[in-house]
Amino acid sequence: MKRHLNLTVNSEPRQILVEPYYSLLDMLRDELHLTGTKKGCDEGDCGACTVLLNGVPVTSCLVLAHSAHDAEVTTVEGLATREGLHPVQQAFAEYGGLQCGFCTPGLIMSAVGLLEKNFDPTEEEVRYAIGGNLCRCTGYTKVVQAIMAAAEQARP
Amino acid sequence: MTTAFTTVGTPVARAEGPDKVSGQTLYTADVDLPGMLWGKVLRSPFPHARIVNIDVSRAQEAPGVRAALTGRDIPPALVGRLLRDCPVLARDRVRFVGEKVAAVAADNPEAAQEALLLIDVEYEELPAVFDASEAMQASAPSLHPDIESYVGLPQPPSPMNNVFAHNRWGKGEVEQGFRESDRVFEHTFSAQLMHQGYIEPHACVVRVDDSGRVEMWVNNKAPFNLRSQLSAVWDIPENRITLHPISIGGDFGGKGSFMDTPLCYYLAIHSGRPVKMVMDYLQELMAANPRHPADIALKTGVKNDGTLLAREASVVFNSGAYGAFKPRVYLGGADHLGGAYQVPHVSIDSYMVYTNNVPCGHMRAPAKPQVHFAVESHMDMIAAELGLDPYEFRLRNVIRQGDETPTGGSWEEVRAEETIRRAAQASGWGQPKDRPNAGRGMAISDQPPGAGQSEASVAIDAEGKVEIRMALWDTGTGAHTMLRQVVAEELTVPVDDVRFTVQNTDAVAFDSGSGGSRVTYTAGQTALGAARDLKAKLVQQAAGLYETEKEYVTLQGGTFVIEGTPAQTVPITEVTARVISEPGNAIIGEMTYSATNSPVTSYCTQVAEVEVDPETGQVRVEKIVTVHDVGAIINPMTHQGQIEGGVIQGMGYALMEELVAEEGRISNLTLGDYKIPTMPDIPKLETVLLEPSTGPAPFQSKGIGESSNVPVAGAIANAVYDAVGARVTSLPITPEKVLRAIRERESNKP
Ligand code: FES
Ligand code: FES
Repeated sequence: MKRHLNLTVNSEPRQILVEPYYSLLDMLRDELHLTGTKKGCDEGDCGACTVLLNGVPVTSCLVLAHSAHDAEVTTVEGLATREGLHPVQQAFAEYGGLQCGFCTPGLIMSAVGLLEKNFDPTEEEVRYAIGGNLCRCTGYTKVVQAIMAAAEQARP
Repeated sequence: MTTAFTTVGTPVARAEGPDKVSGQTLYTADVDLPGMLWGKVLRSPFPHARIVNIDVSRAQEAPGVRAALTGRDIPPALVGRLLRDCPVLARDRVRFVGEKVAAVAADNPEAAQEALLLIDVEYEELPAVFDASEAMQASAPSLHPDIESYVGLPQPPSPMNNVFAHNRWGKGEVEQGFRESDRVFEHTFSAQLMHQGYIEPHACVVRVDDSGRVEMWVNNKAPFNLRSQLSAVWDIPENRITLHPISIGGDFGGKGSFMDTPLCYYLAIHSGRPVKMVMDYLQELMAANPRHPADIALKTGVKNDGTLLAREASVVFNSGAYGAFKPRVYLGGADHLGGAYQVPHVSIDSYMVYTNNVPCGHMRAPAKPQVHFAVESHMDMIAAELGLDPYEFRLRNVIRQGDETPTGGSWEEVRAEETIRRAAQASGWGQPKDRPNAGRGMAISDQPPGAGQSEASVAIDAEGKVEIRMALWDTGTGAHTMLRQVVAEELTVPVDDVRFTVQNTDAVAFDSGSGGSRVTYTAGQTALGAARDLKAKLVQQAAGLYETEKEYVTLQGGTFVIEGTPAQTVPITEVTARVISEPGNAIIGEMTYSATNSPVTSYCTQVAEVEVDPETGQVRVEKIVTVHDVGAIINPMTHQGQIEGGVIQGMGYALMEELVAEEGRISNLTLGDYKIPTMPDIPKLETVLLEPSTGPAPFQSKGIGESSNVPVAGAIANAVYDAVGARVTSLPITPEKVLRAIRERESNKP
């Protein structure tokens, strides 16, 4: 039976009815129609579904929607501001950090999660932060370049 | 002469980038239609069985279920990309674990999934065959006894059991070649079952309206071909089917097949609702259309000085239960078993064999990664026997300008040797290694730009904004941006003023879609032709406006120069503003184009540098040098992106990726168990591009989609041998195999 769930998604308070077995990923995609977050494996292996849960990157397919009660969720749709794209988004587009784009929302959320707690990461730290995100198109080189460039730009 | 380009040759960021990074791009699974149902399928647990009975009555009555179908509920037509041998739903017989036997459509995915549990199927198991060579024996069960009745078989099937295609290539007299040889070497190799590994699973959405018109959204990169396959199996005219453009989350050859689309239509018909089907990744790994496993035997005759004289080769592809998942019945790359060498006597046999495994399809450069792994390993094994350096041995035999290819063809501007030399240079070939158990290995292959057919229009509006319209889906390669650059260059306008609109399948007659390294060539020439047509029309208009002849008008830097005294310059926008009076109107150039086979190919030599742990057998790739014989490069960023992605896929193939099947049952059915390269696996990559030569694509460019993934496995295998003397002849090169090879080497020591 569907149950009430209160949470904040992309800075917007939401109250919705969700089945108890729904994953956070299915809730975002099928109930809130936020389809920017992607479903690759649905088993925690690919990272395409990565979102920020209270600022920390999680694979949303492995998180029950109801465990995000009262939490703050940020998806790829919530990164851009009035001023434009988030620096990480900008850098992915500019440096060829994406091809098909299916892994991209997840990679971007992992990168944003990293930069939020460490805005001066080494290349090693960047590589580690995206170690759980699969990308079949790029071979990762340009992804790392993009994240390093974004960090550079975001640095005060 | 070097031509100065303005847009061509610059790393223009892809137009679809901003939408992709902000989650706005629509992929098939994101399509949501009013009243849409979710379709799910029940799959066979047996590799070969007779279906005695299927009962879907309990599923039909389950809550939320709107349709439940078996093979008996739909017409018996078979489907296929060329060879139509695959049932939409199995009727009497299943031939692989994962074959679809029943399907349901329900209000939501959970209801559909629950309903599958209520379907009762009674099977009677039949003897099965999994090994391709065994399947070829007369004693093996014959999996398609009715093959003669199938539509789409381009040649009579082989008399050999379960062989649905036997192809031969070659030249000269191979027996004579062996007689003239000083030494003859024979080796066998095998390559594994591999998944394309795109992160987006197969998906489709089908809507049928009351008049029977079909609309669909499907992550298929060759939508016109799909439409014709569906028209045949559904028995409705092609013009009743529309495929809408959609972004594709990775292809690598895997997204050219019909997959669930034929079935989704029947669920839509029977439920009276639009239906969405999305494969989960378990089904992807179990029952999509992976790369063919291959068993390859090579026999080569050489002179004592290392000159190749004869090559006899055979490859047996384990095609699985159906041949339906490939656009030809055989894999074209099999003809590369002579390698990139000058060999006077060649005989190549390729066999496509039915077995009770998952049916295989295309993956990036079909057959070539298998073939070149074998050929390049074999070359090094021969070099070792002859005491020659593998680099020198290749230089002695590599194909050169004017040489015939091993299959009797020829290429213009052959630059194979340069790629070998540059790869040796860049990798420090022959120099001492900086640590123990390190090795270098080399491999070479080639990939010509592919031919195809395409249609484009290029429109300019009153403000001078340009729109390219083509029915070419985005698979992620950056094709649309490359085409914008081609058109911008021709019209001498800024690339930002050129946008790309993807049309649906009603808009044009045909497009071959992406694949076969063809887009830069085929779609590129088409867009260029349409831009030229538009340019001619604009020049004509400008001449009319300024009362001169078109011969006196040229277009340069976005401006018409009109000869005369004095010469006048008129911006394009002035002409378009004056000529196009109605808002929304445009001047349109058009092109329909059918590419002929490219006269040039593109060689790629790679050197892998590895370190092998002799205790564990673990191979660590430190560096890969990849050297490409390129034409002009339209977009260096997306070009490099293809190279990098391809090399890493090749590395996954070489070292880690294998769908492990036992008796037809694949056991590693998650991306946690089926490992593809992740960030920590990535070696240093050095790309060397030769000076641009000529190419058949716009502005003397070539294709790049497939070449970099082909030589990797051979280069790594040879590097492992160089490092620790262990020769692994079967892919992937796992630590267990390396250890076994090290032990074998030690036990063979005198
Ligand atoms: S979809 Fe969640 S990790 Fe793959
Ligand atoms: S861009 Fe396609 S999977 Fe990463």
